[in-house]
Amino acid sequence: MTLSRRDFLKLGALITASTALASCAPFYRKITGDLPATAWASLNPLDFMMLNRITFGARVEERNRLAEIGLQNYIEEQLDFESIDDFSCDLQLSSFKTLDKDANELEGISNQLFDGYDRETVPNELRQAKLIRQLYSKRQLYEVMVDFWSDHFNIFIEKGECFYLKTVDDREVIRKHALGSFHDLVFASAHSPAMLTYLDNQANEKSHPNENYARELMELHTLGVDGGYSQQDVMELARCLTGWSVKKHFWLGEFVFREEQHDSGIKKVLGHTIQPEGQKEAERVIEMLVKHPSTAKFIATKLCRRFLADNPSQEIIEKVAKTFLQTDGDIKSVLRVVLLDGLAYLQPKYKRPSNFVLSASRMLNVETDGVAINQHLLRMGQQYFKFPTPDGYSDHSQTWQGNLMPRWQFAFDLIRNEMENTKHNLQNLLNVLLTENLEEDIDAISSLLLGSPIERLIRDQLIDSVTSAGANADEALQVITASLIASPAFQWR
Amino acid sequence: MLHTLPMINKTWMPRLAFAPQNTAPRGDTLMVVFLRGAADVLNMVVPHGEDAYYQLRPSLGIARPDDSRTKKEERAVDLDGFFGLHPNMYPLIDAWSDEQLAIIHACGAPDESRSHFKAMELMERGVEDERGPASGWIGRHLATLNTGNSSPLRAVGMGTSPQRSLSGSVPVSALRSIVDFHLGGDQGALAQMRAALNIVYQDDVMGQDTLSIMDTLEKLDPLTYQSKISYPDTEFGLALKQTAMLIKAEVGLEVSAIDLGGWDTHFAQGSVNGLMPNLMKDLADSLAAFHADMQDHMNQLTTVTMSEFGRRASENGSLGTDHGHGSMMMVLGGNVNGGKVHGEWPGLEDGQMIGPGDLAVTTDYRDVLSEILNKRLNNSATNEIFPEYQPVMRNVLK
Repeated sequence: MTLSRRDFLKLGALITASTALASCAPFYRKITGDLPATAWASLNPLDFMMLNRITFGARVEERNRLAEIGLQNYIEEQLDFESIDDFSCDLQLSSFKTLDKDANELEGISNQLFDGYDRETVPNELRQAKLIRQLYSKRQLYEVMVDFWSDHFNIFIEKGECFYLKTVDDREVIRKHALGSFHDLVFASAHSPAMLTYLDNQANEKSHPNENYARELMELHTLGVDGGYSQQDVMELARCLTGWSVKKHFWLGEFVFREEQHDSGIKKVLGHTIQPEGQKEAERVIEMLVKHPSTAKFIATKLCRRFLADNPSQEIIEKVAKTFLQTDGDIKSVLRVVLLDGLAYLQPKYKRPSNFVLSASRMLNVETDGVAINQHLLRMGQQYFKFPTPDGYSDHSQTWQGNLMPRWQFAFDLIRNEMENTKHNLQNLLNVLLTENLEEDIDAISSLLLGSPIERLIRDQLIDSVTSAGANADEALQVITASLIASPAFQWR
Repeated sequence: MLHTLPMINKTWMPRLAFAPQNTAPRGDTLMVVFLRGAADVLNMVVPHGEDAYYQLRPSLGIARPDDSRTKKEERAVDLDGFFGLHPNMYPLIDAWSDEQLAIIHACGAPDESRSHFKAMELMERGVEDERGPASGWIGRHLATLNTGNSSPLRAVGMGTSPQRSLSGSVPVSALRSIVDFHLGGDQGALAQMRAALNIVYQDDVMGQDTLSIMDTLEKLDPLTYQSKISYPDTEFGLALKQTAMLIKAEVGLEVSAIDLGGWDTHFAQGSVNGLMPNLMKDLADSLAAFHADMQDHMNQLTTVTMSEFGRRASENGSLGTDHGHGSMMMVLGGNVNGGKVHGEWPGLEDGQMIGPGDLAVTTDYRDVLSEILNKRLNNSATNEIFPEYQPVMRNVLK
C-alpha cells in the first residue's frame, strides 16, 4: 500500500486517536493490541472467500496477515494452531467455572439436591464459551474444525445427562482431536459418555440390544448411509457394543464397560468375523470403519461441503479422500488438500446463522459476552448443542435460505447497539481511515464487509433513499451499514 | 414505503392484499404435518384385533377396548372392531365420527434404509432413490400448478427454515411466528430501514417477498386472534393456529408445512403416559382444535400427516422401539372418505412382517398424496411430482 504524505500524517494522527479510544474496549484486548490501527488490505476475491471459510468472518488483522504472507503460509500458520498465542481469548474465558471440570464435578454443580437439577448453567456456559472462542480466538481454523466435528458428532444437549456430559465431550473428544487424527476422534467419541447417553447405548444390553448408536456410528460418523453396510451389520455392531455404558455412581459420568451386559457370542460385521473379546470387539470394528474407503469418501465430501461448495466436484472429493486413506485420516494433511487444492473449486455458500452473526460481529470488532448473540442464534434456528437429531446442523445453503427476517433484525439491533452487553466498534474502525464523507465511509464499510466496495449506483441510491426517509448523516451511516449486513451479498461467504 | 392496507370491516381481521384475484385453478389449502423421527404408529392406531401385537409388546402395548383388567381411560378407543386409537389420540374421535378423518395404515415408502435422514429426504423429494429431482414434491406441485397467485405466503414452512418438501422453483417462506416478523424501532427508524432494504433487495425475490410479508403480517397478531377454540400452548399448536389465521385472513396460503419432531423413541417411550403419549396428545389436541376452528372452511381444506417410516413391531429392551418400516397416514378434511381405516393390513405374525420384524408397506405414501393432488388440489401432474411412479387411487378422498 502506498501512502501520500498527507495520508501518512492522517494515519499517524489516527493511530494515536484509536489507541485512546481502545482504552474503552476491554482491558485484555487493549494490552494485547488486538484492535486494528491500520486500514484493511484489499484481497483478491478468491482469497477473501477462502479467508471467510477458514475463519468465522475475516477481521481486519486477519485479512492484513493474509495479504502479507499469502494463503499457503496463512493456512500453515493456522494449522499449527498450538503456536498461536491466544491470550486475550483465554483471559475472557477465565471467568467460566465449568469448562475444565470432569463429569462428577459438573453433576455436583448442577445437582441442587432437593430442588432437582439445574439444567441451564452448565450448557449455557458451554454455549457462551463456544461463541466467545469463535469470536475472539486467533486459532480460527481450529475453531472452524471444532464446529465441524461438533456437527459431525452431534449431541443434543437436552437428552438425559448430556446437559453436563457434553461439556466433557466438547473438551475431551472434539477440541482434543479437532486437528488430530480421525481415528482418535471416532475412538474418543465412541467412549464418550455423552455420545453413549445421547444415542442410547447405555441401554444396549445383551438381553435386549439397542441399535441406535451402532447405526449412527456407521451411517453418520464413518461409512455414510450408502457406505456398504446392511441392517444385519447394524445389529451385529450393536451386539459388539453391548455393555458400553456410563457409570452411575462412583466416578459418575465416566465410561464403563459392563462385562455382565455384554453379548459374548461371535459376531460378523462387514464380512469380518469378530471373536469374543469383550470391549475390544467394537474397538476392532472402529479400526475397520475408520480405514474403510467409504469413510474416506464420506468425510472428504463433508469437509469439501463445509469449506468449498454445497455440491463439491467429485474430482476434489477423490483427491481429498485419497489423502485421507494415505495418511490414515490425519486431519491436518487432509485439510491442506481441501484448502489449497480446493481453492479452484470454491463456490459461494450461504452463511449458516452462526456464520452470519459471527462474521458481522468479527468484522465490526464487536465487544460482547455472547449472551445476546446466542439469543439471536436461537431465533435463527441454530442455538448451539440444540440440534435434536444426530446429523447436526445442515451444511447446505438451501436449508438456511428461507428466513431473512431474523437476520435483518440482528443487523439492525447490532448497529443500533440494542443488544445487551454488546457494542460494535464501527466508529473506531472508520476513524482509522479518516474518511471525509458518507460516500467514503460506505465504500470503506462495504469493502470491510463484502471484500470490495459496493457499486457506486447502489451506494448513491442507498444514500438518497434513507435521506428521503428522513435520516441525518449519522443515522444514514448506521442504517446503511445495517442494510449492508442485511443485504443479499453479505448472506454469502 | 409503509403503505397502509385497506381495512375492510368484515370480521375480526382485515381482508388483505394478496388474496388471489382468480381462485379458479386453486383447489384446497393443504396442510402437511410431518412427524419427524419415525412415529411408532402401532401405538397410535393400535391393531387391537391382532394377538401378535400384544405378544410383541408386553410392556408397551395398549390394552384392548374391552380389556376389563385395564382402566377404561388406558385402553384403546375402538374404531372399527380391529383398530383403535391410543387414548391420547381420543380428541380426534369427533372428526372420525363426522367421517372427516381417514386413516391409512401400513402405509409408507419402499426405501428400507431405516435411516431417518435418507428416508426423510427421499420422502420429501418424492423420489424412489437418490436419482431424480432435488426439489421437493410440494415444490413441484407449486411449480406445475399455475394458480396466478403471487402471494409470498403461497407456501409457508412453519418453523425456522422451509421443509425440504417445499423446495423448488417457486419461492416459499419460513415463518416461525407471526409476531416475530417485524423490525423494531419507531416509525421513523422503520421507514429508513425499509427504504434501505428495498434498495439492497431490489433484484432479490426472496427479499422483496419478505418485505411484502412484513406489510401483510403487520396486521395479524395471534394474541388477539379471536376464536372460540383454544389451541394447545405448544409450538405445534401455535403453528396450526397460525395456519388457521393465515387461511382466514385470505393471504393466499395454498400449502402449509409443519413439523412435529421427537418421535425417535428408542428409549422409555411410554405406553399410556410418557414421552410418546405426550407427543400424541400434542398432535391430537392441536389437530382437533384446528379441525374445530376451521369447520366453516372444511370444504376447501385438506390436512395430511406422515412420518418417514414406522418402528419395529416388537418393543426393545429399553422400553422403546427401534427403526422399522411401515407407517400410517391420516387425512383430515371435509372431502375425505372418513371414519374408515384404509389400506390392506399385512399382519404382525411371523412371515407377514419384513426385515428384522417390521410392519410391511401395502400402500405407497405417494398413492395418498397423488389422490390429494388430483382430487383436491386440481393438479394432475403427478408424473412430474412423483417421477417414475404410477400412483394407484385408493379412494381415500371424494
